[in-house]
Amino acid sequence: MSHHDKPAGRKSEGWEPKIVAIVCNWCTYAGADLAGISRIQYPPNVRIIRVPCTGRINPFYVVKVLQAGADGVLVSGCHPGECHYISGNLSARRKFATLKSFLNYIGIEDGRTTFTWVSASEGERFAQVVKAVTERVKALGPATKLVKKLRDADVAVAK
Amino acid sequence: MEKVEKKLREEAKKLLAEKKVDVVVGYEAGTLPLTATPVFITAPEEADRLVWNAFCHHNLAKYVHDLISANRDSQKRLKPEDRKRKVVGVVTKGCTSRSLVIHLQERQYERLDLSILGVPCTGYVDRRALAEKLGGEEILEGSLDGANLKIRTASGEKTIAVKDVLAANCVTCRFNNPVISDVMLGEPAPAMNPAAEYAEIDEFEKLSPEERWAYFQKEMAKCIRCAACRQACPSCYCRTCFAEQSMPQWVGISEDPSDTQVFQFMRMYHMVGRCVDCGSCVSVCPMGVDLRKFLKKLDKDCFVLFNQRAGEKIDFPAPLQDQRMDDKEDFIFNPGGGH
Ligand code: SF4
Ligand code: SF4
Repeated sequence: MSHHDKPAGRKSEGWEPKIVAIVCNWCTYAGADLAGISRIQYPPNVRIIRVPCTGRINPFYVVKVLQAGADGVLVSGCHPGECHYISGNLSARRKFATLKSFLNYIGIEDGRTTFTWVSASEGERFAQVVKAVTERVKALGPATKLVKKLRDADVAVAK
Repeated sequence: MEKVEKKLREEAKKLLAEKKVDVVVGYEAGTLPLTATPVFITAPEEADRLVWNAFCHHNLAKYVHDLISANRDSQKRLKPEDRKRKVVGVVTKGCTSRSLVIHLQERQYERLDLSILGVPCTGYVDRRALAEKLGGEEILEGSLDGANLKIRTASGEKTIAVKDVLAANCVTCRFNNPVISDVMLGEPAPAMNPAAEYAEIDEFEKLSPEERWAYFQKEMAKCIRCAACRQACPSCYCRTCFAEQSMPQWVGISEDPSDTQVFQFMRMYHMVGRCVDCGSCVSVCPMGVDLRKFLKKLDKDCFVLFNQRAGEKIDFPAPLQDQRMDDKEDFIFNPGGGH
């Protein structure tokens, strides 16, 4: 157990937010790749989880990530009309719209969760998104709401 | 009301005698004064047990789903041609009818499996509101006299207007008459006050995030995770609820408050476009958790975003089954603003 386990410890100087990005394979992941290949700089705060399609993202993933102690969640996929599976992102959009609104309603800070679209050719946009999200989350400070304090190994985001 | 009740018994009797249905799910008088309880009538001569009054609060769609799926399961080993349909007659008020629509939208059974006995609803008595009015005194005797409840407690006789103890969801109900039925018993009931249905939500939205979080925390801290809310909910019919799945384990079972918060948050979130505001979960909750404050928000969002209300239209897919290219996406983040 290090001092990092305590939220108070995480508030200490030099705190860097941990942001989990759940992105689709066909657009945003490729966009992130392009950012890398093009050597566009963006903050190293995101941990990327690749899924086949935003339509495959169970809204529970977002909540689970928050419970596990991530300071921010980013979800991104293909722009509407460009889904590899035609309409996965449109189904996802309805889920995310209601999910985000419901999270805000119970008092989760708006900046903790971000939903966007980044296509495979938008390496620049990916970098901008990550930069903006990191700044937003930094301004909010470490997450406390919904965060599980009694850690069990399987939910804890690796410190 | 009595007229509706009489017609209801006649209709149930007829359906059972003609073997049009295998069972009628309805309400009978409860064992305590001023209560009603679900009943399953299978013989015409039992139909006189059926009642219809202001104590019939259960959303019977729950039992319809249970009966039909149990019947289907019991016939799994039979050859398809030997399988028998179980036709369920169901006493159906507005909220129940919308739950049936949801089951149909979600392909849980077919319209042919149902015989819908529509009843006009003017709202049901909220057990807690009534207890409060009586200062927690036990009801020794009670009867319904027109628009009033005549009650005898240890301290004497009391008269309470039904309208003063109606459940909150009934007061602003938009669908107090069934949206689908095979036969409608009695004249449609007069409208309630749907104009005010989101007033409470609008108020809550005005609070700061910190105040809202404090309220959410406070309410969820009451929850003992008995899952009665889920058991009572007609839209909660999964064979294995996420709350009990272990591979992966979606919700932890520790004492950490977040485990309960996450369970409730997701149980409620699963009600987007599926909660008919029947109040069943609220009425069964032993801890008095204010679930409606959150569930009604989902209903509001669903209407604001997708212009649909849960179980409203049988010819449409449910809101989250559907999607449109031009759905609102104001929540989508664009770095540097603009599109
Ligand atoms: S969540 Fe509660 S109010 Fe909504 S349909 Fe289920 S039992 Fe009824
Ligand atoms: S019925 Fe009430 S106490 Fe039981 S799980 Fe639901 S909200 Fe919690």
